[in-house]
Formats: sequence, structure tokens, C-alpha cells
Amino acid sequence: MSTPMLQLRSVEAGYGEFRVLHGINLRVDKGEIVALVGPNGAGKTTTLRTILHMTTLYRGEITFEGKDITKVPTHKIVEKGITMVPEGRGLFNPLTVYENLLAGAYTKKAMEKLEDSLEFVYSLFPRLKERRSQVAGTLSGGEAQMLAIARALMSRPKFLMLDEPSLGLAPKIVLEIFDTVVKLRDLGTTILIVEQHVKNSLEIADRAYVMEMGQIVLEGEGRALLSDERLRKAYLII
Amino acid sequence: MDPILVTNNLIDGVLMGMLYSLVALGLALIFGVMDIINFPHGDYVMIAAYISWLIAMAFWVDPSVTALLTVPLFFLFGVAIYKSVIHPILGAEPLIQIAVTVGLGYVLENIALAIWHAEPKSFPAPWFNFGLNFGGLSISVAKLIAATVSVISLYLTHWLLTKTKFGLAMRATSANRLIAPLMGIDVEKVYSVTFGLGIALTALGASLYMMWAQTNPYLGSSFSLLAWVIVAMGGLGGVVGVIYSGLIVGVLEALGNTFISPSARLAVIYLAFFLVLWFRPRGLFAKR
Repeated sequence: MSTPMLQLRSVEAGYGEFRVLHGINLRVDKGEIVALVGPNGAGKTTTLRTILHMTTLYRGEITFEGKDITKVPTHKIVEKGITMVPEGRGLFNPLTVYENLLAGAYTKKAMEKLEDSLEFVYSLFPRLKERRSQVAGTLSGGEAQMLAIARALMSRPKFLMLDEPSLGLAPKIVLEIFDTVVKLRDLGTTILIVEQHVKNSLEIADRAYVMEMGQIVLEGEGRALLSDERLRKAYLII
Repeated sequence: MDPILVTNNLIDGVLMGMLYSLVALGLALIFGVMDIINFPHGDYVMIAAYISWLIAMAFWVDPSVTALLTVPLFFLFGVAIYKSVIHPILGAEPLIQIAVTVGLGYVLENIALAIWHAEPKSFPAPWFNFGLNFGGLSISVAKLIAATVSVISLYLTHWLLTKTKFGLAMRATSANRLIAPLMGIDVEKVYSVTFGLGIALTALGASLYMMWAQTNPYLGSSFSLLAWVIVAMGGLGGVVGVIYSGLIVGVLEALGNTFISPSARLAVIYLAFFLVLWFRPRGLFAKR
């Protein structure tokens, strides 16, 4: 088997003294969409943040393209080609849409491809082009999420993590966001997505992990998990 | 009241206002980007004024020329202070930040007292400390130079913030320091440069000020308070807000000086400050 793009082995992490993850094993292969689902407080967001070195890691190993990244600071991990669309979008609200995108292309490599990247994200989300001189804080929820995704894409990630991208959005926009995620995968970006819309995310996911209480309790192919009796019961998927 | 005297003092107030804006801008950057309450900001002006005086005496040049040394020196001093004292209190509660930074201010003040004692120091042979006369009006050339250099520096800082990649990193960090690293921004670097820059601006202000004024160990507290009044008045209005509120403070000081008494100048500023906070708690130039 080839080297996975991202691999977590027995990862234990948390915030200071507060341990959240109790031995996570997780793998994402190149070109996959992997979904991470589970109830609130299961440690999904913490898992994503741990990959980016934004938490305290107590034990375990995280490799990206075969190389250990547990000691690499966040901004250097981004240079290696990982980024995240954070929960609640985390836009730079006082900055314009264009400046947010520019900030997304901050790394040297990304800045060289700025024009290409802009053209790409504007083609993906034409609305952002119309609103490029508008202050990010004044965008609607859907537009803000589009900007958060576009800003992440500006760094030209090989591996993109999305944390609850559908949170607080109208159903129609949620579907648009999911369509975009599939499109990005088809264009070659590897994706790890945390979602509350379990059904939607399992439908688009190649594989999925179910988390509970800081541990992986179930894993499998996305559609196979959808018909798993335990999961259906736990999440009332009808 | 003599109209010429009033006009003279008003011009003086405008020129001083620009210098105050320059000093306050450093504070605004440190507060805005790093969320650090650098309480004794003026104490850096005081120490820089002494250093400027020392260099001026050693090379027998006007203090304004010493900015060529004090500015880079204080940039490095700021970075060193950031790494040793400020870094550990990032994100700490305001009380801790105030305790640490105020403590640092007392250290600076007492170093000055120990070395130079309480007697004021000034450069005895300034180059520009004379007035230009226009039919009764007299404008201080030194203050005119100080104001001009201040305006240019304010503009350059504005340019840095709005037109450069590093300025974008500073603004992004200011807007959301937790998310900025996800763009590949090295927040530590942004912080140390911002603190260095903020302190370098106090050194520039000090070298300009020493063109005509004298320094003493207590110079810091009046500059600190002026800087805080300007930043609070300017609210989140950026460089432009700092310039306008610096102007207002300079002119108010001049008015207090003219119409009440030189000792009432600070009282007038604080009264205005009080009124601004009462009616516009987010500052005169806040966008919301």
C-alpha cells in the first residue's frame, strides 16, 4: 500500500491539562474525501486543530506525505500544503473580500500563483467577484462560507480540512457547498470534512470515521456506514 | 486676548499634535495588532530622549539627526522587550498586562533617575530652535520640522499597513490572531516587528522633541497619558483616526495654555477625553 497523505497514530491531545483525544488512529489517502462525524464534544474539531499544531499534543504521531509534522508550527504546516476552513468561518471581518483572499495566498508559493488562484475561486464562487471590495463582516452567511472556502483555496492546499462548513446555512446553500467539496476532490484536492449533516457528508465521502468521547468508534466506506444499523440509530437517519 | 498670540499658540498646537500622533501611533499599533496594553508607552519616549541627548552630546549634532541611530536602536530594543517581557503575557488578563508593563515603566524611569538624576537635560546647541516671523506670527522651525517628519512617518506607516504584504499580515492578525496562522502568517514575527515598530516610533518622536525640549525622568508619564487619550479618542479609526485625535489633543492643549494657564493644559485634555468617552465610548472615529 502506498503512503497515506495524512496519518494519525495513537494521537492523544487536548488543551493544556484538558485531554480531549484519547488515541486517535486516522488515515487519509490522496484524492479522497474523508468525513469525520460524531456528536458535539466528541473531539472532531480538536482532531483537525491537532493536525495543524493548534492544540497540545501529549502522545502519538502525525505524518503528512510520510513526514512527521508534530513539531512543525502552524504557519509552516500551511506552507507544506495543509489548510483548514475553520468552524464559524474565522474571516478577517474588517478586511475586504479581496484582502481576505490575498491573505489566503500569503505563503511565497501561493503568492506566485495569485492571479490563477483568484480566477479559479472567482469561477467557483462568482458572487465573491461581485463583492470583492465589500468588507467581509457584512457578507451573508452563505457568502461568508464561500469566502472562507475560497480563502483556504488561495493557499493552494493539497489537503483541505473543512470544519462544519454547513453550520447555520440554508439547505439550498448547504447543497451548493457539498457540490463544491466534491468538485474540489475531483480537481485533485484531498479533503477531510467534519460535519453535523451526517447523511449528506457520508453520501459524498469515500470513507468516514465516527468519533465519540475522543475516540474513533467506527470506520468504513461512506455509503456503507450510511446503512450501518448502529449509526442510523445514533443519528436518527431515516 | 491678543489674536496674534492665539494664532501662534494654535499653530503650535497643530504642530505638537502631529508629534503626539506619531507617538500615539506606536501605541495604537501595539494595542490594535497585539491586544497588549502597553501602559507606560511614554517611558520609551523618555528613555529615547536621553539616548538622543547622549548621542547629540557625543557627536555634537542636533538631536533630530540622532534619529538615524535611535530609531533602529529602539526597534531592536522593542523586539528584545517583546521577546523577554511581553511574549509571556500575551493573552493574559488586562490586570496582569498592566502590572507587567507598568512595572517595566517604573524600571525605565528609575534607570533614568539613577543615571541622570532628576535634573532636566537638553542639547545646548540646537540647529533649528528659532522662529520664522510672518508679520508678528512666529513659527518654530524645529516644531515645523518635527511635524513634517511626523506626518511623513504617519503616511509611511499607513502605506505599510494598507499597501504591503506585511501590513496585510498585521491587519489579518489584528482581525483574528487565531486564524492568521492558517494563512501561513507567522504571528510571532508579526508581533515582534509590530512591537519593535511601535517602540521605534517613540524614538523618532523623542529625537524630534529634543530639537527644542528637555528631558527628565518624568517626561514619560505625560507622553503616556497623551498617547492613551489619542488612541482612545481615535477609537478603531486606524492611522487617520490617530492623526485627527492627535490634532485635537494638540489644539486643546494650546487652547488650555492660552486661555486658562500652562498648568491647566492637561486638565483641558482630560476634560475633553472624559466627554468623548461619555458620548462616544468607542472613540470619535470608530466605524460603528
